[in-house]
Amino acid sequence: MSETRKHLVEVRNLKTHFPIKAGLFSKTVGHVKAVDGVSFKIEAGKTLGLVGESGCGKTTVGRTLIRLIQPTEGAFTFDGDDVFSLPRKAMKAFRQNAQMMFQDPYGSLNPRMTVGTVVGEAMGVHRVGSKKQRRDRVAELMDKVGLSPAHLNRYPHEFSGGQRQRIGIARALALDPSFIICDEPVSALDVSIQSQIVNLLQDLQKQMNLTYLFIAHDLAVVEHISDFVAVMYLGRIVEYADRDTLYANPVHPYTQALLSAIPEPIPNKDKKRIVLGGEVPSPSNPPSGCAFHPRCPLAEEQCKRQLQTLLPKGGSDQHLAACWKAK
Amino acid sequence: MNNQEVTTDMTQKPVKGRSLWSDGIRRLRKRKFAMVCLVIVLIYFALAGAIYIDEVLQDKFGEKGYEGISLFQWNESIGPSYQKPWLDYEWTPEDSEMSQEGWTFFGTDFLGRSTWRRTLYGAKTSLTVALCASIISLLIGVPLGAIAGYFRGWVDDVIVWFYTTLGTIPYILLLMAFAVVLKDATLFGHEIKGATSVYLAMGLTSWVGICRLIRGEIIKRKESEYVLAARALGCSNGRIIFKHLLPNVFHIIIINFSLRFVGFIHAEVILSFLGLGETDRPSWGGMIDAARTELARGVWWEMTAATVAIFFISLALNIFGDALRDCLDPKLRTD
Amino acid sequence: MTDNNHTLLSIRNLSTHFFTEQGLVKAVQDVSFDIPLGKTLAVVGESGCGKSVTALSVMRLIPWPPGKIVAGEIEFDGQLLLDASERRMREIRGNDIAMIFQEPMTSLNPVFTVGNQIVEAVKLHQKKSGSEAWTVAVEMMRKVGIADPERRVEEYPHQMSGGMRQRVMIAIALCCSPALLIADEPTTALDVTIQAQILELLRDLQRRHQMSIMMITHDLGVVAENADHIVVMYASRVVEKADSEELFAKPLHPYTQGLLRSLPRLGEKKERLDVIDGAVPNPLHFPSGCKFHPRCPIGKDDSRCQTEEPPLKEICPGRHAACWYAGENKDE
Repeated sequence: MSETRKHLVEVRNLKTHFPIKAGLFSKTVGHVKAVDGVSFKIEAGKTLGLVGESGCGKTTVGRTLIRLIQPTEGAFTFDGDDVFSLPRKAMKAFRQNAQMMFQDPYGSLNPRMTVGTVVGEAMGVHRVGSKKQRRDRVAELMDKVGLSPAHLNRYPHEFSGGQRQRIGIARALALDPSFIICDEPVSALDVSIQSQIVNLLQDLQKQMNLTYLFIAHDLAVVEHISDFVAVMYLGRIVEYADRDTLYANPVHPYTQALLSAIPEPIPNKDKKRIVLGGEVPSPSNPPSGCAFHPRCPLAEEQCKRQLQTLLPKGGSDQHLAACWKAK
Repeated sequence: MNNQEVTTDMTQKPVKGRSLWSDGIRRLRKRKFAMVCLVIVLIYFALAGAIYIDEVLQDKFGEKGYEGISLFQWNESIGPSYQKPWLDYEWTPEDSEMSQEGWTFFGTDFLGRSTWRRTLYGAKTSLTVALCASIISLLIGVPLGAIAGYFRGWVDDVIVWFYTTLGTIPYILLLMAFAVVLKDATLFGHEIKGATSVYLAMGLTSWVGICRLIRGEIIKRKESEYVLAARALGCSNGRIIFKHLLPNVFHIIIINFSLRFVGFIHAEVILSFLGLGETDRPSWGGMIDAARTELARGVWWEMTAATVAIFFISLALNIFGDALRDCLDPKLRTD
Repeated sequence: MTDNNHTLLSIRNLSTHFFTEQGLVKAVQDVSFDIPLGKTLAVVGESGCGKSVTALSVMRLIPWPPGKIVAGEIEFDGQLLLDASERRMREIRGNDIAMIFQEPMTSLNPVFTVGNQIVEAVKLHQKKSGSEAWTVAVEMMRKVGIADPERRVEEYPHQMSGGMRQRVMIAIALCCSPALLIADEPTTALDVTIQAQILELLRDLQRRHQMSIMMITHDLGVVAENADHIVVMYASRVVEKADSEELFAKPLHPYTQGLLRSLPRLGEKKERLDVIDGAVPNPLHFPSGCKFHPRCPIGKDDSRCQTEEPPLKEICPGRHAACWYAGENKDE
């Protein structure tokens, strides 16, 4: 889709396979295909929501893009640069522009470092600014995320879960990145705090023109914050659309089941629920053909034999689904 | 920035933080018994330190007439050979066989030297040996363990192979081998003798335990989210090991140190039994070793003095080490 | 007395405190509610509100030290549980009242097969021989929807997925047909599609066995679809009690209102989510007066809310709320 607006993030056919070693000499006997051919684009300033259940590979996608995990195949173009083939020096520059936010407020901050050190560490590593400038910037960042700068000498365990996530956001913003991968940022928080953090992320996006890859399993939160949504199942994207279209008119049977499975806080709502049978299969031993066929209410012979590719649906090439039966 | 969502405290002075260390130390201070044990340990160390300083002063100012503190003059003959301790007598002032000089109240050895003074001096020997051995084993074990645990792969394989092999050799044999070799060796031009050979031997053979421990702890922590976050920021491997991982295992090092210290004191005794210990100066192991033949003749006070000295520091360190473990382990926090 | 509204479990003025090194934690204070026969009651609240401690208090599984039930009465089917002997409690646990937990991986023993663990539960309470107990185990696994149970009964917990393990937990809990099942966040750790399966299973089992369920959760969606009655807890106290439909239609307590408003809902298009300011208070330092007042749009400026703790009052028939202004505010 070559348009006038350039896509900040372009991912093409990303694959991340982990070898399974067995036997006396640790021979590679197979692969866990955590991510098996994922492609998407994100425009600058927009949010792509990446949803799916456990084992679908969404977290692995995030970690591979930030190169915490090595990709097996595929390309990732960020602002015109091919990230996977960047030399070390250029990688450092990339890390100033692309950052990550983690899920666990209790595990993602070093318990032995003060909050000020945590937030300011990136500046030290990349040798940005003088000591005083860094200190000022840390205070500025803490204020930006809603924390008092007077607390920069405190330790993570002195803060609540929601506050720790704010610290994580401040850390990610330290070098003024343009792209942030949010890996389940609110899943581990209390319900009444989740909305505070979601609002904060939206405010920051508007203020700083940030681009988000928002990885989550809570579809209601994703609906609120995303511009586009991609649904993953067992390492692949099964449906992709802009937010409104996906929620109003999901065409892939998995998306439909996923949306219908969400319990809504409306009692006695007459919900035609699609309850899927079976279990989520293991990525080390995926079913043949379309990975969803063992649980799909529409499955046929062809589904077992043939791998499904993303096809445009509903007359628009912005709405893609990997199912030949979907309208 | 819209601050309406969170009540913020806008005072400008930074608030002091409460680190996990200070929490642990506060908990430790509440345990009175453990604090008493710590005091006992510190007394031993203070004693050893005082003796050491006294010796240095004697070296430097001996010609100028500095004679050293009398309490530490272990080599001075102050009474008859094998005088019994005052406890053993019904003491009467007229008993002329007994030397009444101070410091003979715990008896003398075959040269008439005070058992009491020699026991005190033994503290310096034992503590020096144990401390140096501990430090050497930490300096070898911790970095190797950290590197093995962090990098895994072939580096890990090599290091693990190495210490597993080393660990299959019986400790005493290994210790003896090192001690014998080091006895006549020179290090940087200085002759290694006595205590130095002892603690070098111990340090070089006792690092396997701490290495394994640190390796395990690093492996456990290396995939934590805060480490991933540091990598995502662009931290180098070295920075991650030193600034992120090691501070989080430091409490384990401390606990391990305090509990193994006692082991080193005992190891020194064993080495003395084997004739490989410190020979020029008094040491508890040496006293106990010499006591083997003396006991047959009814001379019980040498061995008793050394044993009692070892007993109290072992007990105190064990109790304190256990309390340390209870208090410093973050998992036991009731947050 | 077996009419439809027979109360199976009645908790009255329960208080459980923890005497920790850092101070006294009043985890549960003056909590009262009833669970009717054959119905599902949900205890809803966020972390630290005391809902899990309430459940453990019913089972008398509060560890001492540092925890202790300091006041109250719990009546189960005519028996006063807090006065019962430990031996009597052991007979009740697993047999009359069963409990399932959030993390099936840590609640199942990793070194025993799942069959073994079900058999252990059976043997504890029923006089059955070894082979009879295994038959029961296989049957239970079939009942909870595990396919091919004869084979899977020999598997270990780590060989099963999260949903499977939760089904095993339910099998263990139900093998002695308890009258009350306490489910502590049973589906929080599961994927949404698996959660739907497990909740449907629980509803089905409840219908068939006429079992009461006390479901502890923070997920209001799960509550809406599964609970008949709801108890909302905040900071160790009950702040609202009502039937499910009524609570969602018209919540009375500002906390409940705030919670419902701040949930992002499917199909709703909002610019910004509504929030509840502030955070859940530290149990060591609860605020004075009404514990919710620092975060409450009404209470934060009201002197009565700041100084006096509102009791749980019946505002209208069947509806209780602990708020000085319940029923008066015009929100929602």
